Amino acid sequence: MKKKVLSLLMAGTMAASLLAGCGGGKDDAAANAGDAADAGAAGTEVQGEAANEEAPKNPVTLKTVSMFGGTDPNKVAYEAINASLKEEYDYITIEDNSQTSDEEWKAAVNADFSVGNEPDVIQFFTDATADTIVATDKLVTINEIWAEYPEYAGDTLESALAAAANTDGVMRAVPTTGYWEGLFCNKDLFDQYNLELPTDWESLTTAITTFKENGVIPIACSLNNVPHYWIEFLMLYSAGVDEYTSVPETAPEGWVKGLSLFQTLREMGAFPEDTDTVDDAYIGQLFRDKKAAMQLDGSWYSGNIEDVENTVVIAFPGVPEQKAEAGSLVGGISSGFYITRKAWDDPDKRDAAVKFVMAHTCQAGVQQYWEAGGAVAQAAVEVTPVEGASPFAQSIAEYTSAASAIVAPTDSRIGDAYKTLVSEIVKVSTGAMTAEDAINEALALIK
Amino acid sequence: MLYRKKWPLLIFLVPGLLFMLMFLYLPFVENIKNSFYDMNAVVKMPGTEWDFIGLENYKKLFTDTDVRVALINSLKMMIVTVIFEVGIAFVLAVLVSQIKRGQQLFRTVFFFPVVISATAIGLMFSLFYNYNGGMLNQILAYFGKDPVLWLSPERAFTMLAIPTVWSYIGFYFVILLTGLSDIPDDIYEAAAIDGCGKFKQVFYITLPMMKTVFFTSVTLAVTGALKVFDLPWVIAPNGAPQGLTHFLGTYMYQQTYGLNNYDYGSTLAVLIVILGVAVSRCIGFLTEEKDEKSKRK
Repeated sequence: MKKKVLSLLMAGTMAASLLAGCGGGKDDAAANAGDAADAGAAGTEVQGEAANEEAPKNPVTLKTVSMFGGTDPNKVAYEAINASLKEEYDYITIEDNSQTSDEEWKAAVNADFSVGNEPDVIQFFTDATADTIVATDKLVTINEIWAEYPEYAGDTLESALAAAANTDGVMRAVPTTGYWEGLFCNKDLFDQYNLELPTDWESLTTAITTFKENGVIPIACSLNNVPHYWIEFLMLYSAGVDEYTSVPETAPEGWVKGLSLFQTLREMGAFPEDTDTVDDAYIGQLFRDKKAAMQLDGSWYSGNIEDVENTVVIAFPGVPEQKAEAGSLVGGISSGFYITRKAWDDPDKRDAAVKFVMAHTCQAGVQQYWEAGGAVAQAAVEVTPVEGASPFAQSIAEYTSAASAIVAPTDSRIGDAYKTLVSEIVKVSTGAMTAEDAINEALALIK
Repeated sequence: MLYRKKWPLLIFLVPGLLFMLMFLYLPFVENIKNSFYDMNAVVKMPGTEWDFIGLENYKKLFTDTDVRVALINSLKMMIVTVIFEVGIAFVLAVLVSQIKRGQQLFRTVFFFPVVISATAIGLMFSLFYNYNGGMLNQILAYFGKDPVLWLSPERAFTMLAIPTVWSYIGFYFVILLTGLSDIPDDIYEAAAIDGCGKFKQVFYITLPMMKTVFFTSVTLAVTGALKVFDLPWVIAPNGAPQGLTHFLGTYMYQQTYGLNNYDYGSTLAVLIVILGVAVSRCIGFLTEEKDEKSKRK
């Protein structure tokens, strides 16, 4: 008898421990049931601020995801806006899971959307990268939100909203700032070796040779991890804007010529000795430690620059027989805040999600992001200029304002196929694979 | 008989069985199914369909040069683990079993790397190998030597094998030491009386009596080598340099999560399982006692 009781007790304990993880869900379900009961009232009460002040709100937990994590310069602004939002609306709790965007993170976002684990609000890409989650129809359109909240995205410029439309032309995301990609240079190293900042292919190769001879890494780049920026500029300048922005079926001549320059640069000793094995964080550190002279990167990298007196951003110098106009840059607006249907269909979360997005995309919110990015990027609202900008910020302002063309990068057009192209760049640089084969392999994956 | 009624045992066995079914066997069956489809996302997104592509992914296995590299590296790693992990562990176990004092200290010291996470070990070794300011190159610089590219295409496999072997020696050391302690002392004493030296005792007593323990260790080492992932991925991600250090595990991960090629990743997973089962069966056959084989005949 004792054995029976003991075995039943143990089995009961095991079962209880197995089911323990489901407890929270049950509570949530109960809470949601309560929320649902209030839905009728809540649906009508969220019309105006006056009504909000009068009726006590149910506690709301917003699940949010953004790319403003890790070393992103926008992280501080993002967290500050979240903190003030929580202070203003004490019934809103934010469960944030922000990370720096990379391929694995994008795959995780896709997985979350496909299994119904999507967040309530997500700051994500608006280009072809978002096509998979857009196809799930789990993102609410701005028109739908405007029907209930006419003030939504009120500060955002119409042109910025249109630029952040998804590839199907529907506006779902509210953007904050745009981005640019450019050549970061340690100007003090150029001065040390009596070099001019490169303005064309010849001056670039002179700089590479001189730095190489003097034991300085000419270009900080990890071909194994993030060769993206070099892919973009080499293809843009070799192919010209029209061919670069096309979605071809087979490798265009300009693309091939551009990517073939990886081998030329490698043979010149432009990249670090360990470019095949190191990651992007290490590469960035080499540049900031003045062990490398140049680094092609994006506006998000500018927040990491400590020596703002001796670092400058300049236009891509160019390639031999280039087809793009000097000063052409890769950039644009390609991300924004989305509200998911999961939050929209929950009356309490709907209001909180709208408040969240508006806090981040209103004039004051965007101003914070804009300043965090060096106060020089394209802003989605009218921003107040900052006085006393550093030489670094001034160089960015000069670079972006003098841009002859602003073009979105290739991955915004070919989606996942771009990853295959990136994965073959090391082989292209060593000559183990031709640029044409690498491009054709990627283009074959476009559905 | 310990238990007259056996049904209470079921209560303890069924949850484990259900757990295995849910989290191992069902996903594996799903994985096999996925390898026959052209997947455009990790799971089927609402409103989308996957095209059935039959054996296309399996045909690709034979033409993909990266699979060949990964397969060769995995086989090389199997040989390395058997020779060095189990071999060095056996030598250490024999030496430690011979000492009377301090045995516990050596057990702890040799086992210690096993409890450190592979990610931490990988990070530590990647800091050793760094070309710019890595520990090994700092030592070379101290002696006035030029820095060495430790993860060059020629050296990379060896540089990955070293931490992999080092981190698991302690595991096999403990298994083999336990096996050694099971051999009765009187056999050694009788051999010593007959004039058998310590070295001969290892060959004529220890090795033959440890066959089953060796079988277990070799099986674990070989199947472990097939699954190797974390250490190479931390030290040399994406098969760096130039895709030459891909193992089946790292290549599967890169295809699945790096390139979003989920169906091909599923195919590679099937290959890993098939190889794992085949290799462990081969080892079982090779190490089977002769009399057992004759009984079967």
